[in-house]
Amino acid sequence: MLSPERLALPDYEYLAQRHVLTYMEDAVCQLLENKEDISQYGIARFFTEYFNSVCQGTHILFREFSFIQATPHNRASFLRAFWRCFRTVGKNGDLLTMREYHCLLQLLCPDFPLELTQKAARIVLMDDAMDCLMSFSDFLFAFQIQFYYSEFLESVAAIYQDLLSGKNPNTVIVPTSSSGQHRQRPTSGEASMLEGVEAPLFYQCLENLCDRHKYSCPPPALVKEVLSNVQRLTFYGFLVALSKHHINQALGALPDKGDLMHDPALDEELERL
Amino acid sequence: MIPGKYRSVSGRAASNVNCGLHLVIQASSLPEKNKVRFKQVEFKLNKETPSFPGRLLQHDLERNYSSRQGDHINLVSSSMPSFPILQRSSEEKILYSDRLTLERQKLTVCPIIDGEEHLRLLNFQHNFITRIQNISNLQRLIFLDLYDNQIEEISGLSTLRSLRVLLLGKNRIKKISNLENLKSLDVLDLHGNQITKIENVNHLCDLRVLNLARNLLSHVDNLNGLDSLTELNLRHNQITFVRDVDNLPCLQRLFLSFNNISTFESVCCLADATSLSDITFDGNPIAQESWYKHTVLQNMTQLRQLDTKRVTEEERRMASVVAKKEEEKKRESHKQSLLKEKKRLTINNVARKWDLQQHRITNIATNQDRKDSDSQDHCQNDGSTISAFPEETGSLDSGLTSALQGLSVTDTHLVEVDGDTLSLYGSGALECLDRNWSVQTAGMVTTVSFTFIEFDEIVQVLPKLRIKFPNSLHLKFKETNLVTLQQFNALAQLRRVDQLTVDPQGNPVVNFTLWKYYVLFRLSHFNMQKINGTEVTQNDMIMAERLFGILAHVASSELPQYHLISILGDARKKQFRYLLETKGKKPGIVNEENNDSKRLVGESTNRATLNYTTRDFYNEKLEEIKEKKKFCKIYIEDLVKEATEINMKNEALQKLWPQMFIELVRDAVMEIRNKNSYMKLCLQQITDQK
Repeated sequence: MLSPERLALPDYEYLAQRHVLTYMEDAVCQLLENKEDISQYGIARFFTEYFNSVCQGTHILFREFSFIQATPHNRASFLRAFWRCFRTVGKNGDLLTMREYHCLLQLLCPDFPLELTQKAARIVLMDDAMDCLMSFSDFLFAFQIQFYYSEFLESVAAIYQDLLSGKNPNTVIVPTSSSGQHRQRPTSGEASMLEGVEAPLFYQCLENLCDRHKYSCPPPALVKEVLSNVQRLTFYGFLVALSKHHINQALGALPDKGDLMHDPALDEELERL
Repeated sequence: MIPGKYRSVSGRAASNVNCGLHLVIQASSLPEKNKVRFKQVEFKLNKETPSFPGRLLQHDLERNYSSRQGDHINLVSSSMPSFPILQRSSEEKILYSDRLTLERQKLTVCPIIDGEEHLRLLNFQHNFITRIQNISNLQRLIFLDLYDNQIEEISGLSTLRSLRVLLLGKNRIKKISNLENLKSLDVLDLHGNQITKIENVNHLCDLRVLNLARNLLSHVDNLNGLDSLTELNLRHNQITFVRDVDNLPCLQRLFLSFNNISTFESVCCLADATSLSDITFDGNPIAQESWYKHTVLQNMTQLRQLDTKRVTEEERRMASVVAKKEEEKKRESHKQSLLKEKKRLTINNVARKWDLQQHRITNIATNQDRKDSDSQDHCQNDGSTISAFPEETGSLDSGLTSALQGLSVTDTHLVEVDGDTLSLYGSGALECLDRNWSVQTAGMVTTVSFTFIEFDEIVQVLPKLRIKFPNSLHLKFKETNLVTLQQFNALAQLRRVDQLTVDPQGNPVVNFTLWKYYVLFRLSHFNMQKINGTEVTQNDMIMAERLFGILAHVASSELPQYHLISILGDARKKQFRYLLETKGKKPGIVNEENNDSKRLVGESTNRATLNYTTRDFYNEKLEEIKEKKKFCKIYIEDLVKEATEINMKNEALQKLWPQMFIELVRDAVMEIRNKNSYMKLCLQQITDQK
């Protein structure tokens, strides 16, 4: 219990890291909203149920987007819920458009923003022909990274743009009069000839990113694996590779691709209906 | 030559007649028309003009049968090579001094008639004469008959100022002309010619009979000046319209049989021809119309005979009755068409408003995306949408402009009840549900159609719809902005829906592959029969369950209880309280009691949690919660502060405790070291306390 690392952090920070406060605040808020009903069967029972549902991952059902996005655990639970509810759609083999997937997401979270779904779709479709149909598994895995690592991906996008335009964020720029002239962007012709950026350079930047920032990011080992296979890659190429890699185990929310359609427990329920 | 006597016009077959001239003529039986004509002519003449020519003719009629062989006429070729000269024997001249008959003489030209200046009647029937000539000297001529010749032009008559009867039937005359001096003309017969236009007759103020049958007339006008005309025969022409007849003060008989008259409007001047008593229209297209008889009788009350049949009082009465009914019908249909037009305009107006609204909404969305202000773009877009419509408005305006005066075109909504369908156009129409509807009308409505109304607005009035129109089973949505599957959840509020029609126009949700299955799944308790016109099959229901069944299961069984209750609201509280009390039983498990209670409620409870709140409501709710959230945050912060303080104190205590304990022990030991002084101290303390 009293491990040294825990004592090393000041209290508030420790609590924040584990997102304990988020859940506490939400619990009290729910209590306030439904006082009449909850008071019928006891506050202690309410708290029990609440935290049980947090553990099981059902607390995010039909909740507002701000709550779902609040903690990594919420995000993972949401992904899992989405998979479980609509696995049958995937099993049926239907290919749906981005808007339809968005609709399905909205069934679980009424104010889910369209931009996230669009970004996920872009990963699948490699930023091309946004009205194309997508399979359930493709969309699900792309959505997984997009949603779970959204802030990380934004930073990666910024880094990628910088690298594309020739700026190396790692280098320290000393503001002298001459450096202003050195900062020349390569002509667009050059950039277009070579697609994407060099993998090792990219990896360096990402590593720095992961170290520097506290929000969740994929395990560096995984990122290294993905980037070690290729010499150059584009932004979406990177994301696609990431989505298809065994990132599932890192997240723990979804099963691997092979097992995507299997869920014996729910299949049983389905039979009963 | 034997002069042709007047034919026996009494209708008896003509007999061979011999008179002064040698030529034996077989006076063949004459065409009916001519006989009739002549009879009429003579009759009339006898009646009304007891002047010399009439008596002359009658006189001759009587003498018809008392004729005998007469003198010879010698046709001697004259010095002029083309014109033969006619001479009669003096006996003839004395006997028939005023009339000369030269019919069927195979004449190709008019002969020069010498020494017959007293002639009053000249008959050239049935010859081959091509030009009227050589009769200018016969200035006493009253009766000129050139029937059945080859005359192409009326000419050579300018000196015949006394002429009363001019018969030019069955010739080749193309134009009425050169009649200027014939001011005494009484009968003008031009039937069977090629005349295309009535002209140059306006000076004939004594003319009583004008026959223009069997010509090429296409219209009738230019009849002014014929102040004595009583009979006008225009049979067998190509007449399409008639004018100027009301300028004929004496006209009694008008024969228009076998022409091309098709509407009463084309002969409307007849209504004002008060002298007219006899008219024929048979053989015209107008006579085939169902409304022919009573329209004519209604408009020409002065008529005594129509198509040679007498007009009875009964017919007249019938005519006015029918005319009145027609008037009613026309008024009614006019009203109907006005109403329809108004409806159409309103709907167009609503549509235009709707489109502007839609465009404006998307415009604002794109404005937010772009950083720079796009008010210009906004205006442009509006302009473009408005310009999309001027063709429509143009065509509308060009329509019933005069009829629509006084109708307001600025209506923003339309409510229409048409038997079993209630149609609502425009969001303002939803207010109609607040009105008091008669039970009968409301009970008859089985279909409700929404057009140009936002679905979110419709959702809010669905409870009212359920109460006011309990029999509405079929819902139709067009241009209602249905974009997400969630929105269908709202339809669960209704009592029952048998059929659902969602028009692709203006409802993007129809583009989704799964929308029908979702509807069937969410509204399974309605047992829908048809969606968008296609029957719902058992397979569809199974598929819907298969696709979304798990969602329902998750939505009901995996939600924590408090959450369930807060979503479902009062109606379900009782039921769920019951479920709570039966511990351990999940709502998803099929149970006898559960089934019954499910049926009572009417909707399977596991779907009830799938609700739809409109975007606005949702945002409102979230706003309301913000306050609470803030409070919670502060509250928890306080709690955390307290907890950390306590924790700190605890830790501090942990650290300090050994030291404190040692000090406590030391103090105690030091106090008790001197037994005596300690005893004294305690006693002191006790007395102080008292």
